[in-house]
Amino acid sequence: MMTDTYLTFLAYSTELEQESQERYLEIAESMATHGNDEVAGFFHRMADEAGNHLAEVSLLCEGAELPPIKAWEFQWPDAEPPETTSYEALHYRMSLHDAMTLALANERAAEQFYRDYAHNSTDAEVINTANEFADEEKSHAQALELMLEDVPVVSELAREEDDPPMMPE
Amino acid sequence: MNESLAMKPRDYKSGIKPIWCPGCGHFSVLNAITKAAAACGLAKDDTVLVSGIGCSSRLPAYVDSYGFHGVHGRGLAVAQGLKVARPDLTVIALGGDGDGFSIGGNHFMHACRRNVNITYIAMDNEVYGMTKGQASPTSPEDWEGSKLTPHGPGVRPFKPAAMALASGAPWIARGYSGNPNQIARLLAEAMAFPGFSFLHVLSQCITFCPQQTDWKAIVSDFEEEPLSRADEAAALFLSEDGFKTGLLYREPRAIWPPEAAPAEDAKLVLRDLASVFQR
Ligand SMILES: Cc1ncc(C[n+]2csc(CCOP(=O)(O)OP(=O)(O)O)c2C)c(N)n1
Ligand code: SF4
Ligand SMILES: [Mg+2]
Repeated sequence: MMTDTYLTFLAYSTELEQESQERYLEIAESMATHGNDEVAGFFHRMADEAGNHLAEVSLLCEGAELPPIKAWEFQWPDAEPPETTSYEALHYRMSLHDAMTLALANERAAEQFYRDYAHNSTDAEVINTANEFADEEKSHAQALELMLEDVPVVSELAREEDDPPMMPE
Repeated sequence: MNESLAMKPRDYKSGIKPIWCPGCGHFSVLNAITKAAAACGLAKDDTVLVSGIGCSSRLPAYVDSYGFHGVHGRGLAVAQGLKVARPDLTVIALGGDGDGFSIGGNHFMHACRRNVNITYIAMDNEVYGMTKGQASPTSPEDWEGSKLTPHGPGVRPFKPAAMALASGAPWIARGYSGNPNQIARLLAEAMAFPGFSFLHVLSQCITFCPQQTDWKAIVSDFEEEPLSRADEAAALFLSEDGFKTGLLYREPRAIWPPEAAPAEDAKLVLRDLASVFQR
């Protein structure tokens, strides 16, 4: 029998991973539309990662009825769930290095969120699962840190412009 | 309705992929619409999105509902006509600052005045995004980002909330694209409001106005109850910085038309119209 606090935690985890996956996918598709294939490919991989984590959460939710929390009723540390990429940080000419740095910040924010959730709970099941999820986010962050070492640091907007968004002279 | 209650936001997306620039604020409005639709259990067949022309106005194609991508500045005219003919539908008009406040400015004022029971989302990026970055009615006076106005447009920007209030809009709110959940909540409230609801969204154009990424640090929440006195709202809208978000003003009044056309008659009219178009 799952406690209400555990079900609420699962609702938060589901929302966090779902939003993360959908945003990564949305960005990947729009990057591809705008010809930034390298960054598109990276965000597709991140969407897959978030999808894998979402599948794990969904397994835990099997047979349970999650509380019906509307998108705007969740209380996140920021306006959106911690692993959801902010629109302001994007640009169609962004470099792979910048894209990875952004994803790294997302993974760290998610780790922090799960860690804080565990810290603030008294429910043993919540504490265990939240810490497990935090460890998983930490391992994603570490993997990204390693990958970043091999990616050349390119300043933002260094990609060549095929069709500059400027007015005719 | 029960079937639609189980729908997720993504179920309201059409298969068409947006061609907006990555990071465009209009993505946020699209996500807010699908979230509000899922939370409110909107029936796709009873929902219509109507737009004009602009990057923002592409939005109806990306939602799996009925849609009408109309003529520049005329989305509100079509949306009001549709609602009067089919009061049973949920009608949302939307478009950009150019669409709604330049070429469509007159329709905007009269829609506020007429008070047909629809929602209007103005996706304001202070620029004509689609035509490559010219100044719009809401561009700052000294914005030098366009080569057409290298020293800035030099005229004071239009104040959408003040304009809406002066024209009689009974429900006025402001959202910000960095917070799609807030836009979704406001939209759910807007759709439930009986009358013309005006949702002004600060929606960044990452390509022509990259400085708008600073908005995140500037926007603030309007933490009070929505104002209901027009004089108080006027004082706020004329003096504020334009970055307060939330439900700002709410004062219901009689909607138009006083008696909505019966749906059956409306269907007859639509059938006649359809036969005209088929000729
Ligand atoms: C009758 C007419 N006049 C002018 C245009 C050219 N035009 C296309 S979109 C646009 C402005 C778009 O700006 P906005 O509504 O702010 O949308 P955004 O692209 O910024 O989202 C203009 C002037 C047109 N399509 N039709
Ligand atoms: S040009 Fe601006 S408004 Fe148009 S899609 Fe790109 S970012 Fe959005
Ligand atoms: Mg615009």
